[in-house]
Amino acid sequence: MKSLYTAATGMMAQQLNVEVISNNIANMRTTGYKRQRAEFQDLLYQNLRRQGSTTSADGSTVPSGIQVGAGVKTGATYRVMSQGSLAFTEKNLDLAIRGEGFFQIELSGGQTGYSRDGTFERDAEGNMVTLDGYKLIPNIVIPESSRDISIGKDGSVDVFLDDSTVATNVGQITLARFANKAGLEAIGDNILLETPSSGTANVAIAGSSGTGNILQNFVEQSNVNAVQEISELITAQRAYEMNSKVITVSDEMMSVTARLK
Amino acid sequence: MSNAIRIALSQQVALKRQLATVANNLANMNTTGFKAENLVFEEHIMPGASMDNVNIGSTQISYVSDTMLMRDFSSGGLKTTDNPLDVAINGKGWFTVQTPLGDRYTRNGHFTLNSNGQLVTSSGHPVVVDGGPLSFSPEETDITIASDGTISTNQGVRGKLQIAIFEMESILKKEGANLFSSVDAARTPEFVSLAQGMVENSNVEPIEQMTKMIEIQRAYERTASMIEKLGQMKTNAIGKLAQVAA
Repeated sequence: MKSLYTAATGMMAQQLNVEVISNNIANMRTTGYKRQRAEFQDLLYQNLRRQGSTTSADGSTVPSGIQVGAGVKTGATYRVMSQGSLAFTEKNLDLAIRGEGFFQIELSGGQTGYSRDGTFERDAEGNMVTLDGYKLIPNIVIPESSRDISIGKDGSVDVFLDDSTVATNVGQITLARFANKAGLEAIGDNILLETPSSGTANVAIAGSSGTGNILQNFVEQSNVNAVQEISELITAQRAYEMNSKVITVSDEMMSVTARLK
Repeated sequence: MSNAIRIALSQQVALKRQLATVANNLANMNTTGFKAENLVFEEHIMPGASMDNVNIGSTQISYVSDTMLMRDFSSGGLKTTDNPLDVAINGKGWFTVQTPLGDRYTRNGHFTLNSNGQLVTSSGHPVVVDGGPLSFSPEETDITIASDGTISTNQGVRGKLQIAIFEMESILKKEGANLFSSVDAARTPEFVSLAQGMVENSNVEPIEQMTKMIEIQRAYERTASMIEKLGQMKTNAIGKLAQVAA
């Protein structure tokens, strides 16, 4: 019974679909999270009667043959990199990117990670770090005596020291862009890594070479749309049920045959 | 009587194949750009056969055989994805994809960029744009695809998606991975309508497939019970004929 295995591929695909959707819903409130979508493809076909094969000596041919498919497979789970909405936070080290680009984060071991999550803090030495304590690249040190921080659209970091009314520049945040940002690999903690399919990072000052602007006091929310996810979850669940029904029917048909005497 | 059993068998074989087709349709209920298919049965007439000869022209017996696969080429519904590289075709037309085996056609407009910035399908095959693949430089942003297939970025117009249409879509053959191949040359349509940020759902109608599945199951059971009755008839015949009148 081919239909048994075909339906099994359908159930496995829908299971993965539900896993992807549930992860999206779980990360609905995760800063900078980009929702994922599972993309399915049909499997190979078996030609039972080939199209275009000759049916008579006069040269007549089969107009449309018989092809029986073997089910479905997951082609990719890709990230939809659309802009998430920006939320005002009133925290001067919260940054959001409006447009293209990623913050560069120095991970342990010197590896560079990329993130859209711009909730930064200061560590004991005054370095700008992520919530996990990873430093920003290029590293920006905010002096202890600074009373206010102003980060421009282009990512230039200015501080006001003590009683001074003149801003002092302490660094420049740069953003990284990729030829294929959907090819970045997620490692959790809102951090993505470069892969051969993403291409190499092109680093530029925010607002130039196609990168977006930086907005201070804002964070980028996830781009998960609850209504969309729920309706996809319903479709996935029904598809799963229908494929399981195919298995039941195939089984009943086999049992009918087995009962013959 | 054994002819009857053979006819029943021909139906059961055909029904199993039809169930395989239904199972494939249901498994691909959520496959982007998938086209549902249905087997077409035909009467296959054979002369009746007895133990030692075939009586051509005497009795004629109809067997069932599956001769054709009809593919439903109607459009599936469009689903919004917000991905700028997702494109759906309204109405007729196919995207042209370059594979190592030649040009292939697909309704799955989920495209992406590879590490060289080239426009490819999720299997990595380049999408044909005005006769050749198209690459974007990392500086380009705001990729927009107009309804006639014109691709432009912040650096101007970059090309036009090559859309193919066919006189007879039934000639298209499925290759797996949402791709179709054709023996006939494709034509360029005069008018196309594309929608950016959307993909085309599978056009499988679950209700239709479930109904068909019930039909298949019942037909299979009917045939099986007929086979069983034929068996009983044989047993009865042997039993009755063997009785010697006292």
